[in-house]
Order: sequence, then structure tokens, then C-alpha cells
Amino acid sequence: MFTLSSVSKHYATTIALDRLDLEIESGRTTALIGPSGAGKSSVLRMLIGLEWPDAGQVRFDGQPLRRDRLLEQRRRIGYVIQEGGLFPHLTAAENIGLLARAVGWTRQAINERAEALTRLCQLPDGALASYPSELSGGQRQRVGLIRALMLDPPVLLLDEPLGALDPIVRFELQAQMRELFSNLGKTVVLVTHDVAEAAYLAGTLVLMRDGRLIQQGTARELIDSPVESFVREFMTAQRSIADLP
Amino acid sequence: MRGAWVLLGLVLAGACLAQTADVVSPSVGSKNFTESVILGEIAAGLARNIDTTVSHRRQLGGTRILWRALEIGQIDVYAEYTGTLAQELLQMPGADEDELRKALGERGLAMTGPLGFNNTYALGLRRQLAAQLGIDSISDLRAHPGLRFGLSNEFMQRADGWPGLRKAYALAQTANGLDHDLAYRGLADGALDVTDLYRTDAEIPYYKLVVLDDDLDYFPSYQAVYLYRLDLRDRAPAWVAALESMAGTIDAATMQSLNARVKLEHEPESTVAADWLGIDAPISSGRAARIWTRTREHLALVGISLGLALIVALPLGVFAARRPRLGQVILTTTGLLQTLPSLAVFVFMIPLLGIGAKPAIAALFLYSLLPIVRNTHAGLTGISRELRETAAAIGLPAATRLWRIELPLALRMILAGIKTAAVINVGTATLGALIGAGGYGQPILAGIRLDDVGLILEGAIPAALLALIVQGLFEIVERLLTPKGLRLGARH
Repeated sequence: MFTLSSVSKHYATTIALDRLDLEIESGRTTALIGPSGAGKSSVLRMLIGLEWPDAGQVRFDGQPLRRDRLLEQRRRIGYVIQEGGLFPHLTAAENIGLLARAVGWTRQAINERAEALTRLCQLPDGALASYPSELSGGQRQRVGLIRALMLDPPVLLLDEPLGALDPIVRFELQAQMRELFSNLGKTVVLVTHDVAEAAYLAGTLVLMRDGRLIQQGTARELIDSPVESFVREFMTAQRSIADLP
Repeated sequence: MRGAWVLLGLVLAGACLAQTADVVSPSVGSKNFTESVILGEIAAGLARNIDTTVSHRRQLGGTRILWRALEIGQIDVYAEYTGTLAQELLQMPGADEDELRKALGERGLAMTGPLGFNNTYALGLRRQLAAQLGIDSISDLRAHPGLRFGLSNEFMQRADGWPGLRKAYALAQTANGLDHDLAYRGLADGALDVTDLYRTDAEIPYYKLVVLDDDLDYFPSYQAVYLYRLDLRDRAPAWVAALESMAGTIDAATMQSLNARVKLEHEPESTVAADWLGIDAPISSGRAARIWTRTREHLALVGISLGLALIVALPLGVFAARRPRLGQVILTTTGLLQTLPSLAVFVFMIPLLGIGAKPAIAALFLYSLLPIVRNTHAGLTGISRELRETAAAIGLPAATRLWRIELPLALRMILAGIKTAAVINVGTATLGALIGAGGYGQPILAGIRLDDVGLILEGAIPAALLALIVQGLFEIVERLLTPKGLRLGARH
């Protein structure tokens, strides 16, 4: 679905991406993982055209990303950031219907679709009329997800989607999202710093460091046959409750 | 965002409602001092006496403003002094009457014969101080370099005023510029020692002043005359004849007593002029009617200038936020406009827009740009990067992003800018009276000129109330227009 060929990106003094080659398969869930500054968010932002490579090429569905066709390409991609990225002056329903309205959907079509997605994402009924500041963190995240799914895009990009949630809500949402992804059959790319979450949600993990791809494969492959010692260290670095002395 | 359009509509509608029709009948102008206003009233009285309708544009800001207005036909008549005409306006020092008439004729202007008094400049100081220091003439001032000079602003700047006088008499003192009427009060309070006077000033006896002898014959002759446009001979021949017939009829003592009746006995200029002419005084409107007229004039000045500023400044602010480099140029330029002194802007506008409400509106418009542009820019650039990027990343078209996301998020800031502009405008619009724009500045100017606190308050109180009302209205509008989600957000 996405192909990055030899993509480089520099900021003032740092290198975000260093001649990165990456293939993201269609219809699967891919998680970008790696330490801070590895360039995983840069990759995601490049897929949606918020950043442009200094060198190399990003292709979406076989087509290079182009500024003049960006709007149309973006509408085929759902985009969710931490806390949902909701607009504070609009209700949940207005946030959800914003893009559909802009592309000319009728009010009725918007309402029907919003209701269906509300059920699918298990958002309580009253929440749609509320403003973001009246919702809980988990509810905001769900509204963000619904907004992204509104036009039924083939692709979903999620940047640290569950980062700001407390552990219980997070646990619950992880389970729901996994079910959702497998039911919808979309291409999903998510960025997370939580290895367990990545392994739980995604079939393919992409481990990055210093703007380069270190290893791409299933969680099992990364653990069983790491290409270098860093992979094993990273995959096993997180503490679990089982480590309790 | 629809609310913003409603607001704009209201401002413009209010402005149109308050706008008064332009007067097309012939008009006489007067400068911002009592004698000029009385002479203006006499000219207007002469017209009334022969059933010619004329309007009197009272107490305009200064010689330049009157002269330009006469040149471009915004007024048809005003009283001037031959000295000012020769030295300042025509730049022909020492020219005699015939030469002046010829130069005026080339400009499509004419003057009547001298009215009969020579109101030349003079220097004066308190009689007691003069006796104590033994000062009789201007030359005597040289011996007392510690004397404090407070001179009228116009005298300070004229080539034939202070700079020339100081050189001719080799005076060492420096002078401060201030309003002519304030200078008299400064003399009375002992805050000043020397000021410039006009020979016919009513205050000379009142404040017990002596007029110093111009022993070097520095000051030229300042014979009062009426200047008028040549084409007035066709449009109002009877009025021109009446003006011409005034030659030689007002001597210095008469003028001083007319001035005294207005300045010291607080009679209206129109009454004093009518009395002297032996005709009925015009019916003056009551205080409430006067305030209502000024309120309408003032609202027109503020409303129209603010409405126009909104139309220009909002897009400029949006543009400045979109294009940072050009944005800096826009912000700097509107900032520079803010620093221009208002009277300078008014005078600059006269050749383009004449006198009256138009140049005042143009100046107020320029002053309104900065607060609106700056706050629009700050409001838009202050939106978090996360929200701006999300709006773009989810595929919203640019117009939807601006109208549905960015402007509503910046709305509070933008409204605060408009409010600042409106409140500043209410205050600055009072200066519009200097170029005949009317409004609350009219009674304030007259009150300062006549040392009449009641008259000053008649303008100052409504102006202050209006500023408070504008402030209050904008706070209500702000509350109504702020999206509910943001108000909730602020509480959390």
C-alpha cells in the first residue's frame, strides 16, 4: 500500500530518516516501533503528506504522493493522533461529520454512518452531543477513530493512539481495536512505543533506529531471529509484572 | 462564523443610518479661535439677512486646513489676515494689497477690503511682572533670559512666528508650544511668563497683561479680510456684495469687545454676531438635540471607519498568518500607520478627501487596522500545531479549515482586536472636529476655546459613555460568539 524508497529527511542538525526503504503491505496492521528519535513518527507524517522527503520517494497505492493531489489522497486515509486530535469548539458529532459535510454528504447519510460507527466503536449514545472537554480520554479516542473511519478509507494511520490513557481503559481499547482492525480488513499503520501493544495489535512490526529500518517481521520473528543484539534488547527491554522480585 | 457576518452587517448598517447627507449650499469656514468663529458667524448672518442659505463649518483645525479647503472648494469663504496670507499662504513677504489680490486671482480666489482692524501678533506678559522687571518692549526681554515662554503651536511653527522673531531680536530663551487658550491660563497661574497674543484678544485687559512694544517693527500688518472663491460671485452675488460691504466697518476696539462678549461673558458667537449686525439670531437647538446630532456624527465616524477596517484588516490578518515573511511587512506597515500623528493624517487627507467626515473616517480607518490585523494574526498563529495539522491531515479543504476550524479557534482574539480598535476610535474620533467632521470633539474644542468646562463635559461625558457602551457591547458579542466547547474548555 505504501512504498518508501531511499527516503531521507533532515532537520536543522539532526537526521530524521536516512535513506529508508520500507514496504507496507495492504490489508494488514503494521506497527512502527523503536526508541525516541528513531524516525517512526516522521514516517507516519510522510505517509499523510505532513512532511516531505528531502530525497527519495513515497508511493501510495503505486502513485507517488503529490502536493496537488494531496487532498484526494488524504481522504482515502483515516488519521488519528493521541487523544483523538478533536477540535475543541465542535461537538463530537460535528467533529465526526466535518469532512463528510465538506465533501457533500447529506445530513441523513452523515447521521446514519455516525450511528453505525458509534455502535461499532462502543461509544455511549449521549457522547455525540458532547464537546471534547466533556468526554473522558477513552471516549475522545473513540470519537477520533470514528471521525477517521467516517468516509470508510482503505487506510488508517494512528500516531500513539493510546498513549495518554490510563492502563485499564487502554487495555480495554486495545482489545476493541484489535477486533475492529481484523473485522474491517483495512491497511493500518500505527506508531507506538509499547512493544507489547505493537505485538498485540499488529501482524507486522517495523523496528527502527536513527532513521533506518533495523528489522521488519512478525513479533515472533523479531524475538526468535533478531538480526542484531539491539533487536533482542529492544524487544525484551520492557518490564512486566512477572519480573516482580 | 455566521455571527461575525452579522456583526459586520450591524456595524455597517448602524454606520449608514448615522451618516448625514453632505451639504451642498455655499459655506463659510472658521479657524479654531473665537475671533475667526465670530467673523464666520458675521458672514453667515449676512447671508441669512439676504435669505441665502449657507452653512458654517466652525472651528476647523488651523490655517492650512482652511486654505486647502477654500482652494478645493470645500468652503467658499473664510476670514483671514493679510500678514498670514502674504507670509505663509502665498509666500510673498512684504507684498502689498494689489499684489495679494493678483496672486489670489490666479488661484481663483479673491479678498474683500480690510475689515478695519489689524490683529497682528504681539508678545504679552503680566502687568505686575513687566513693571517689576522694567520691560516695555520686546528688546527688553533680552536682559531676562530666565523668562518662561509658552507660545501657541501655530506661532511656534510659522516662519514669521517665533523662529523669525527670535532671530530678529536675538532672544536667548527657548519656548514651549501649547494651545493659545491654555497659554492664557498658564499666564494667570504663573506657570508661564510670556506668550504670544493677538492685538484684539479679549483676555488682554481681563488677565491684566501688557502688550510689549514691537520696537524693531518685526510683525507685519495683519489686516482682517474675508477670502472667497471667485466663482461665488456667480453662485451667490448678493452674499459677495454684503461681504465686500464689511470693509472698514470693524475697528480694533469693536472686535475686542465682540471677542470679550463671547470669551468672557459666554454669549454664543451667533448671538454676538447677529446683535452687532442688527439682525435676529438663528434659533439654536437645545442641549439634548445637540448631543443627539453629535452622537449620530460620532457613531458615523466610528462605525464606518471600523466597518471598512474590518473588511480590509481581517483578510490582511489571515494573509499575514499564512505567509510569515509578507506577514511581517504587513504588521510593520500597519504599526507604522499607528505612529502617524492624527492631525498630520487629517491634513494629508484634505487634498484627497476634502474636509468633513471623509478624511476623519480615512484616518480612523488607518488607525483601526493595526489592532485587528495583529490580533487576527496572533489568533491564527496561536492555534496549536497539532490542531492545524490534524485539520489538514484529515483532508479538509483549505476554505473549510479556515472558516470551520481556524477562525472559530481564533475568534476570541480577533474580537478583542476589534474591541480595541473600536474603543480607540471613539476617543480619536473627537479629533475629527478639527477638520469639520463634527462629533463629540466639537463641544470639546469649543469648550477649550471658551474656557467653558460645561461645554467640554458636553462632549467628554458622552464620549466616555460611548466608549464604555462599545466595550460592554463587545463583551456581550464575545460571549455570544465564543463557541460553547471553548468556554467549557476554559473552565476545565
